[in-house]
Amino acid sequence: MAQDTTVPKLNFEYWLDKAIKWGQATTLESQKDVCFHLPQLQEFLHQVYETLKHMDSVLAIQQFPLIGQLLGRLCWNPFVVGYDESQKILMWCLCCLYSSEPQNPVELKANSWIRSLLCHLLSSSKWESNEAETSTFISTLGYTSSDYYCQLIKNMVFSLVTELGENQFNGLNIQGRVSASRVHAMSLICHPLVTLPDLMPLLETLLLYHGGASKEILSSEFLEAVNEAFLKKKISLPEPTVFSLWLRHLPSLEKATLCLLDQLVSIQMNSLEEVACVIKDSLLPQAASHPAIFRIVNEIFKNALLETDGTPEVMTIIQVFTQVFLQDHQNENKQHKFPLKAYFPYHHQPLVTALLRRPFVPATHWSQHLKHISDMLKALVEDKNISSLADLFEIWFLVAHFGEWLDIAAEELLKGAVEPDALLWLLAFYYCPQNENQQRTQTMVEAQAVYNHLMMLCSCTVLSVKDLEAAVYSIMDTGQYHNQYLVTHLLTNFLLFSSGGHMIAQECIYHITETTATSKEVCSLLIRTAYRINHNGEKNQRAVKLLNELLQKLTLKV
Amino acid sequence: MEAVLAQVEQLPALLAVSRSALVRDWDAQILDRALEWGRYFQHLHDRFLTRPRLREALGRRLRRGQPSLLLGFPQLGRCPQLLGLALLENRALPPAACRRLLLCLLQPPGVEADAESRSLPLLARRKAASRLLALPGGPPRSLEGTEPQLQAEAQLLLVRLREEEQEIVLASEAEGRQRWLSGVLEQLPQPRAFRVVAAALLLLGQGSSSEQAGGGGRDGNSLDGNQASATGGEGVAGPLLSWLLGNLERFSAFCRFLPGSLLASLAGHYSQLSRPYLDLLTTWGSLLLYDPLQGRWVKSCLDKAGLSWEELRERFGYLCRGSVLLGGQTQAALKLLKAQDGDFKVCGLSVWTDLLMEVEEYLRKEDER
Repeated sequence: MAQDTTVPKLNFEYWLDKAIKWGQATTLESQKDVCFHLPQLQEFLHQVYETLKHMDSVLAIQQFPLIGQLLGRLCWNPFVVGYDESQKILMWCLCCLYSSEPQNPVELKANSWIRSLLCHLLSSSKWESNEAETSTFISTLGYTSSDYYCQLIKNMVFSLVTELGENQFNGLNIQGRVSASRVHAMSLICHPLVTLPDLMPLLETLLLYHGGASKEILSSEFLEAVNEAFLKKKISLPEPTVFSLWLRHLPSLEKATLCLLDQLVSIQMNSLEEVACVIKDSLLPQAASHPAIFRIVNEIFKNALLETDGTPEVMTIIQVFTQVFLQDHQNENKQHKFPLKAYFPYHHQPLVTALLRRPFVPATHWSQHLKHISDMLKALVEDKNISSLADLFEIWFLVAHFGEWLDIAAEELLKGAVEPDALLWLLAFYYCPQNENQQRTQTMVEAQAVYNHLMMLCSCTVLSVKDLEAAVYSIMDTGQYHNQYLVTHLLTNFLLFSSGGHMIAQECIYHITETTATSKEVCSLLIRTAYRINHNGEKNQRAVKLLNELLQKLTLKV
Repeated sequence: MEAVLAQVEQLPALLAVSRSALVRDWDAQILDRALEWGRYFQHLHDRFLTRPRLREALGRRLRRGQPSLLLGFPQLGRCPQLLGLALLENRALPPAACRRLLLCLLQPPGVEADAESRSLPLLARRKAASRLLALPGGPPRSLEGTEPQLQAEAQLLLVRLREEEQEIVLASEAEGRQRWLSGVLEQLPQPRAFRVVAAALLLLGQGSSSEQAGGGGRDGNSLDGNQASATGGEGVAGPLLSWLLGNLERFSAFCRFLPGSLLASLAGHYSQLSRPYLDLLTTWGSLLLYDPLQGRWVKSCLDKAGLSWEELRERFGYLCRGSVLLGGQTQAALKLLKAQDGDFKVCGLSVWTDLLMEVEEYLRKEDER
């Protein structure tokens, strides 16, 4: 019964038709078509095998009369045989069709044909006249076709690599030695072989090859296949090769970035160390040292942020990415590094410089530096020329990259900053950049109120939740969510860093997260703070302990 | 230990049977046992790989009773593949046993996917890859004697020779090796054998740069010859050269068959070759007669022996273009021959005068460019 339902799903006619059209895939057109269908074909073959393994060979041939023709033709197509696991599945299928007790001449013939086909795939084929000689010689030496083909592939790869390499001597392109169409053909042929380890040197050479033509000569299917294999970690490539791939093939870069985002969004973010690790492994921050790549990755992040309405996870990812990128950029000892300003070319340069100075500013100067940033930002934003929403968003997005500054601002505020208004303005801008209806101004006013309240409580060593009620109420009682976030930010920092606050921190924070919709933001803030403290080497054991406890309990709830 | 040695002695017989029609009577169980033996031998190989005395003992025992000296200790290591593929190709194997073989070879029993079961799909993939890589607009331009297929055969030959060298215990075995080599090379049609030997000698002569081309990989599938031993070069080239030079007829056929450029290259690497080669060319040269009616040198007898004037000239040309040493040697030889032949200055009287003139003319033009 199961067989009846599966038979219609296995479209032998379609694939046999294709196989006949492809022949042995000697024309460019057929090669392209085969490559395009390889994954689907493998899937189909897998389904065929799954069906066959429960049947005996006689039944199988009755059910699927075309199977013999199909398998036979596919075994003659080196693109199919060379791809991924297709050769394994083909051989399994042939195995299933082999009858251990042939009852009649037809079955005997089928058996013989299967043997021949397997020999064709694995050793010396009776259909290829030149293989017999080699095969005899090899076995006289005491080796098998295993050894021979292992050696042969190495030689062929070496020979092709040398040929391509001759064309590029010391960076000069000696044109005319290898034609663009030959390189293109080579890339197409390598498409199914991308995950074969022996081909690695050839892949690298192709990816680094520049023929002097302005158009891309490598086949885009090939580039996609390499990227896929790399992203799925089926192959590992050296960094310059990966960068070359992404520089020459935009879809690959986009895919890699989206893949990273997917990966990060799906893992539960318990610590930023994890996030930083994943980001580093993706090689994107290192690749982003090319400004072109940086800009594209940035655009993709921007779109992700917009599509998810600024969810804190994406925000955190962007911030950590920027941090990893900057670290890597500083560590690089390259001769010709791009100046950091090259990565943010359309922005007000002094602002960019100020934001980038994060690792070089000692803790004692943070307040001052932040005021400087705040003043510049205020001037930019309140300038009559910045009228469009898009421009405002761009400025906001720039600042958002360096979200660490904002966390520092909140911390500084609660340590008693000298000019709190500038820092408050910065936070207000971050949480509420628009001001057509005076939203930002309003936010600022409320923030100042909360801040003053908190500063009064700062000196107390013993606090109760009631003392904070005014502040807490203002979070809950709101139509303005951005205000909620800002106040939560201030409040959380207060609870973590003030001497009286940390005693009631747990109780308070649970209360907040349960009664408002800010739990994600709070979690995010806690994780960021933990990361920042660990990396600054600040010795704040109390805060760290508190953070860890809070995070443990909160992540369970979320 | 004696038991193990006795077992090992059975390997050649086992392999011979698996290639013969005797498998006709095998059933699934016998096949299982044969494959079991294969794995056992591989296990022995792995165990004794680092124990030289035991290796030696096993190797010696293996060779006992093998006239062709085909198998040595290293072959124990690749027993499963040798057996498996031999049985696969053997048409006499009955269906039940064959089915069992297929299942064992292609589908790993249980969950453990050992290196062996992974190796067959890899083999199929590599074979397909070799066909693919040969596709784009014909094979890559390669110098004569360095086509990938030829190189692969040559490399395997070299690795095998090195293995043999390592296994040689007594001096008398050296003869055995020579015999073995002749036996192997005689399996091939002569032109093929010549090309393989030439490729092998070229690889050795080019030294480490082509060793990288051969590339001894470290995966289980590749050859475990000691690629690192450069000293193996001399020891391994010896038997090959002996084979070539041992028989004059063979050597003469070798020199006639291969192109002048390749021979010049070889002569440059191996001084043992340059002298005999020059002697041979001398012999062929002296067979030429001057035909005043046509105004050129022609072969005195129209049989296949010897070369035409043009071919001779080409060959001398390549030799002179070779290394400095070789070029000097060749020119000196020509001068000597010219002197012995009467030291004529005019053409048409001595083939050596004419040849020397042509060669010098050619070299002068090269210098001018």
